[in-house]
Amino acid sequence: MDVEARTASGADGAARERAAQTIVAIASPPGPAERGILRLSGPGARAVALALVRGAPQLELSARGVHPARLFDGVGEQPGWVVWMPGPRSYTGEDVAELHGPGAPPLVAALLRRALELGARLAGPGEFTRRAFENGRIDLTRAEGVLELVSAANERERRAATALLSGGLERHVSTLRDLLLDLRVLCEASLDFDEADTGHVPREQLEALALAAREALADTLSFERRRVRSNVRPRAVLIGAPNAGKSTLFNALTGGRALVSPLPGATRDVLRAAARAGEFEFELVDTAGLDERLALADREHPDLQAQQLASAEAAGADLLVAVVSAVEGSASCAELLERRRAHPRTPVVLAWTQVDRPGAPPAPAAPLLAELGASAWVALCAPRAQGVSALLDACRAALEAEPPSEGAARVEVSARHLEALNASREALEEALGGLRAGAPLDLLAQTFRQALDALDAIAGRSSPEDVLERLFARFCIGK
Amino acid sequence: MSPARATHPHPQPARAAGERCDVLVVGGGHAGVEAALAAARLGARVILVTMRADRIGEMSCNPAIGGLGKGQLVREIDALGGLMARAADATGIQFKVLGASKGIAAQGPRCQSDRHLYREFVTQHLRSAPGVEVLESTVDGLLVDGTDGVTRVCGARLGDGAELRAGAVVITTGTFLAAVMHTGEERSSGGRVGESTSRGISADLARLGLQVGRLKTGTPPRLQRDSIEWSALDAQPGDARPQPFSFATSRANFPALPQIQCFITWTQPATHELIRANIHRAPMYAGRIQGVGPRYCPSVEDKVMRFADRDRHQVFLEPESLSTDVVYVNGVSTSLPADVQESFVHTIPGLERARFLRHGYAVEYDFVFPAQLDRSFAARAVAGLYLAGQINGTSGYEEAAAQGLIAGANAALWLRGDDAFVLARDEAYIGVLADDLVVSQPTEPYRMFTSRAEHRLLLRSDNADRRLTPRAAELGLAASDALERLRAREARLASALRVLESTRPAAYDGKTLRDVLRRPEVDVAWLEQRHAEVAALGLELDERAALEADVKYAGYVEREHEQVARMRRQETTEIPADFRFEGLSGLAAEAAAKLRQIRPRTLGAAARIAGVRPPDVALLAVYVERFKRARTS
Repeated sequence: MDVEARTASGADGAARERAAQTIVAIASPPGPAERGILRLSGPGARAVALALVRGAPQLELSARGVHPARLFDGVGEQPGWVVWMPGPRSYTGEDVAELHGPGAPPLVAALLRRALELGARLAGPGEFTRRAFENGRIDLTRAEGVLELVSAANERERRAATALLSGGLERHVSTLRDLLLDLRVLCEASLDFDEADTGHVPREQLEALALAAREALADTLSFERRRVRSNVRPRAVLIGAPNAGKSTLFNALTGGRALVSPLPGATRDVLRAAARAGEFEFELVDTAGLDERLALADREHPDLQAQQLASAEAAGADLLVAVVSAVEGSASCAELLERRRAHPRTPVVLAWTQVDRPGAPPAPAAPLLAELGASAWVALCAPRAQGVSALLDACRAALEAEPPSEGAARVEVSARHLEALNASREALEEALGGLRAGAPLDLLAQTFRQALDALDAIAGRSSPEDVLERLFARFCIGK
Repeated sequence: MSPARATHPHPQPARAAGERCDVLVVGGGHAGVEAALAAARLGARVILVTMRADRIGEMSCNPAIGGLGKGQLVREIDALGGLMARAADATGIQFKVLGASKGIAAQGPRCQSDRHLYREFVTQHLRSAPGVEVLESTVDGLLVDGTDGVTRVCGARLGDGAELRAGAVVITTGTFLAAVMHTGEERSSGGRVGESTSRGISADLARLGLQVGRLKTGTPPRLQRDSIEWSALDAQPGDARPQPFSFATSRANFPALPQIQCFITWTQPATHELIRANIHRAPMYAGRIQGVGPRYCPSVEDKVMRFADRDRHQVFLEPESLSTDVVYVNGVSTSLPADVQESFVHTIPGLERARFLRHGYAVEYDFVFPAQLDRSFAARAVAGLYLAGQINGTSGYEEAAAQGLIAGANAALWLRGDDAFVLARDEAYIGVLADDLVVSQPTEPYRMFTSRAEHRLLLRSDNADRRLTPRAAELGLAASDALERLRAREARLASALRVLESTRPAAYDGKTLRDVLRRPEVDVAWLEQRHAEVAALGLELDERAALEADVKYAGYVEREHEQVARMRRQETTEIPADFRFEGLSGLAAEAAAKLRQIRPRTLGAAARIAGVRPPDVALLAVYVERFKRARTS
């Protein structure tokens, strides 16, 4: 800060001080995008955002929400919006303002420069999330979810990160933590009393609580293992028109028992099961059939919800298995092709079903294959299991051809969770054994504490500073 | 584990002419006595001023020393050369180790002493200690010197107007500052029945900028021995093999006094009804039930109101002396009006016709918020001023004595220009006490508990000498024969361990006695009964405990040491003295306020402040690191 600014009037100095504690970064992905987003967080977010808007007097940012505005970078103007999220109910817990404008990189960069001139500071890597963590808005597992999300190499990892982010692990851990904390507190309180005294805690009470903790710990461990596994196992999603034979195929491929019905729209839930091609295992997902008629239907219609689920599944797929009835051919493929176009980079294998029906062509037409971008096709006659193993092999080939994702952040994060949970479990088991063998209470108290400390490493309660630093340094700027 | 060098909050002072002594101790209670003796052991010339020289070492409340969490403190005081353990041993009329069923680290030795003999022992010892002069006088105020830029306390103004100049002043006035006693609606001025109060000191402390608050504590009724129906009650004898507190006490002549029995009785539903019906007349009863757990239940009013589901509470009847007929009614501390006290006591079996020698009462007094001190109990903002004991918001003789010892020793070390002597949480209960106090905001008196010491497996009563005596001897706090005793004890334990390791009775298929001792149901006494080799060792109780701990707790102790090493890294991350706690953005409002007020000196201390959450500590760590980097660059 220069001398002039130092000697500025008190009010002005205070404004500068606030601006200096405000961080700014471009929050939209690099390169051309639909929208360019500049995010501000800190006590000066409002002032800086207003200074970046033409006709500021009209825009007061009095209410939380989206306000149309003309964004002004000091030279040119663009139409856009200001999204105003006053603290503490914001992502970071501070005042947050986002400027949404056209997606052209030079325009966003000009806005950023102007924000810096106005006194905001360029956010360090992960600094928004760090502030959210430090302001108690998220715990460490959620922060890690963000880390996983921004560094997720593909949709598969994104799914796992989303589970973390939505607090799944946090919820499990906090239930468990309450139990372990009770155990520790009861043990330690009991140390302060003789057997006949007010605060003495009988062993049976401790044991009952320890058994409940053991159960909660097993739940948490299996949640985290599932989360990691869903991460690791690739996922193939069946897509196709209603009644194209997806569920029949799903059953044949997995040995599962999806409800098979001759009526279209029988599959409303998402079904998933493991499929194997030799040693190679992947997850196969069956979704509701694509139905254009539903697009206009009532939003509460269960079929529409099934469609949305199906859509989300397709978005997370590593491989799309397009199921097309040889009887219908490309006539039934409009919706299918549209969905495929929504995920242009996902590999596709075509399952050409119902070839045993009268009049069905034994092979798909070349234009359909080209339009689907299918790397392979397999003719099937599901009820007699013809072509099933050929389709499994084709899926395997397509999935194995996909470059392996890096996912270093995810592996690191999950390994940390599992290590902590296992350490906690070991201590808890030791304590349970001790309780039954008549180990003295002072040792039990220490062992319960150990179980709790191990668990607390997950939520960052006992996380040493260097872990935090390492963690937050991995975040993309702007998240 | 070598402790970090500790510094005093103020540089070594230049000494003025006309000083009557090095260290002036105000108060002759448990804190004052240990302060005076510790300073004198370090070579300081000490004057101890007390209002009543015939009340030195008085046990104002329960004539007992030690207990759960407190027995460990007494052992530590002893290991540091203090007097309390020896005084208790010489005057004990019942010895008992509490918490024995809860583990070796939970054990707290306790004794009941003859209160008159205890006082005599302490007085005699203090009067004959080299370098200590006892002066009977009131202290009306503090002498303050502000010439060199830092406010410094340099003596006291006595009741007769005389000024007594000293290098440093240790204030250990207990509950006597602006004290008011309550029995029901009745109030009287004074810190103890029949004694007066001291007013000038708290006004001077406030003038020096120290924040002063009010606390209350209470004491139960005293009954006449022959008015109690003893035959109706269960006897509570002491341990069959009494164990002294002090590592120095010779077993040959122990216990020195005849041993007595205590008796146990219980409050009744009728007792509780009477208390509930009169609860509005109890000034001690706070009237609010907060989630502080069962550990804080000092008065019978509180017990009855907080544990409404319990239909009875223990009451111990403890004779106070071999030479008087006063019985202390442990468990019914109360501030209810005298008539209510008599009514409810008479509902308790055995006490139906009990005669009151004195009613229970509450005393309300000034204390100084201890967050204004550092861990040597020196005032941070005023040089030369040390505070110890109940004035710091604590309760208990042992807590007071421990503080007195540390404060007195540090006053002497400061004047000498030597490093401060502070103990860490993993070294001693005294360390836990000091560390807790300097970040606490007491709303009730602080009492030591086993549960406060997270490293309790290391801080056992059986190993206080192993933990502390070498350092104390090096400083000059403990006599050199203490070190010799420690070596002899270590040698005995080592040879006992060798016997356990080399004995493989046929019955245990190849296992040594050491292996057998690891089983939860086996202890040294069990081995002694079955194996002549072990019985022949003739182990004392505390040696048995030490041996059991060495064998049974070895793995846990090792783990604890690892934990300590990990924690020390954060614990010892120092926050520079000139670090600005103001204007740190991102901290929760409550955390920011607490940090500004308490100004912790390490990240570990910051983490223990109530209201400071882990994210706040993480953020603080960043600011501290940034501050240090900015300073070095």
